[in-house]
Amino acid sequence: MTVIDILTRVDAICQKYDKYDVDKLNGANVAGDDPFARLYASVDADINQCVEKAETAKQEKNRAAVVALNAEIRRTKAKLLEEDLPKLQRLAVKKVKGLTREEIATRSDLVAALPDRIQSIPDGSSTATKKNGIWGASGSRTGGAIKFDSTADGNFDDEYFKGTEESNQFRGEYEMRRMKQDEGLDVIGEGLETLKNMASDMNEELDRQVPLMDEMDDKVDRANADLKNTNVRLKETILQLRSSRNFCIDIILLCVILGIAAYLYNVLKK
Amino acid sequence: MASSSDPDKLMSKADKLTKLSFTRWNADWKSATSLYEQAAIAYRFRKDNEKAKDAFEKASKGQEMISSPWDAAKHMESAAALAKELGYWNEVSDFYHRASELYRECGRPQPASDALAKGASALEEKSPEEAIKMYDEACSVLEEDGKEQMAFDLYRAAAALYIKMEKYSDAAAFFLRLGSAADKCNAINSQCKAYLSAIIIYLYAHDFQQAQKCYNDCSEVQAFLNSDQNRCATKLLSAYEEGDAEEIKRISQSSAFNHLDHMVIRLARKLPTGDLQAIKKADDGEESLDEDDLT
Repeated sequence: MTVIDILTRVDAICQKYDKYDVDKLNGANVAGDDPFARLYASVDADINQCVEKAETAKQEKNRAAVVALNAEIRRTKAKLLEEDLPKLQRLAVKKVKGLTREEIATRSDLVAALPDRIQSIPDGSSTATKKNGIWGASGSRTGGAIKFDSTADGNFDDEYFKGTEESNQFRGEYEMRRMKQDEGLDVIGEGLETLKNMASDMNEELDRQVPLMDEMDDKVDRANADLKNTNVRLKETILQLRSSRNFCIDIILLCVILGIAAYLYNVLKK
Repeated sequence: MASSSDPDKLMSKADKLTKLSFTRWNADWKSATSLYEQAAIAYRFRKDNEKAKDAFEKASKGQEMISSPWDAAKHMESAAALAKELGYWNEVSDFYHRASELYRECGRPQPASDALAKGASALEEKSPEEAIKMYDEACSVLEEDGKEQMAFDLYRAAAALYIKMEKYSDAAAFFLRLGSAADKCNAINSQCKAYLSAIIIYLYAHDFQQAQKCYNDCSEVQAFLNSDQNRCATKLLSAYEEGDAEEIKRISQSSAFNHLDHMVIRLARKLPTGDLQAIKKADDGEESLDEDDLT
């Protein structure tokens, strides 16, 4: 037998013996014609569900799952508070056939007690403050990037996100930090513009000096060549001057002059 | 020949050498020049500016005679500097002009324009007209030689002088000349700054039409079109069209303006001048004409 078969058989058997289900009959009877009782029962069931989810959330390790659970809890809470509660209040006041005055009073009391019960369901906003504090301290960048960047700023559906003070404060902090970052970036931008201006001025100045350097290079090369030329010629001249033939001629002439001087001296002495 | 350190004696000796008389048919400029130079240096050392100036003049003449225009020009410049100290302003102008001519004779246009620039800055206080003329000449000398890059500073100085004299259209014209010179040298930053300065000057002079025309002309230039200064100019002109004084003030504080010349920044800070509404009305009138005119 396949699972499907088992399921269909079980369903058929349940339907056959439904009339013997005491609890269900009782529940149906009790809630049967009375809209208030029905609504109250459903609200009660929702609240119990929320409490259970809160319990699971507390045990849950996975952050994303926790967040999802909390979001659902909040959603249900909002729905209960906004829609069901007013209806219950209206129904509680209505007179119903077969109910005593005390019962009506009890109903009003029950309805009055409901908001507190609903609010008291933990939906993770109180425990989140500690985490928010840590996130805030570590810099809004990571928090901002993770939380807000994908959703357009401020377009939060009321059903999905109920602004508590902590989250509003966090948003405010985020905005302030973003403003400060913008200011800082502005300052950096101005500094960069000054640098750019200086750099392009330097560029132009260097461009101006390139032809001057080329000219200077030419002139210095020419002067260098001239100097070399002159040096070589000077060397040649000096060598010529110092050549041995000239030297010998110098010495001979010197001796001749000395001889003439000595002769004259001798002549005059006599 | 450091024989007589007395400059007066040197001067009289040199004069005697140069004066033509019955016994002397050719003046001996060479020795005379060296004597004059020595005398001039001695006078300058003694702070006798008047005599030093004369000595330099004569030395320069001597150098001319022995055909060395470079030295002649140098002496002329020294004479002019001394004349500036003495306060003989027309002599200053004459000397610097002569020096620049001599430099041009040597075939060195840059020192020529330098001499004119020095003269112009010396005369800025006393006779700005003359100074402007000298700046103009200096710039044209460089332009002829194709060395506009050296002329940027001269253009800026001339424009600043015009602004001081409150001749705004002339100042703007000078900036446009700077722009075209920069274009030739491919100095894009200077070019854009020059165009922006011209636009600001026109706006300061309440001449919105001219500013618009100027802007349109400058937009033809590709380099200007892509620059930051162009964006600033667009924003400024659109703010003017809307007559939004706050916007104009804000734009004038923006950083693109801080890199312009000091005089221009001062003008920009004083924007908007005059009646924005009048400008706006004039502009609207024009626009309505354009709308009806379907040609």
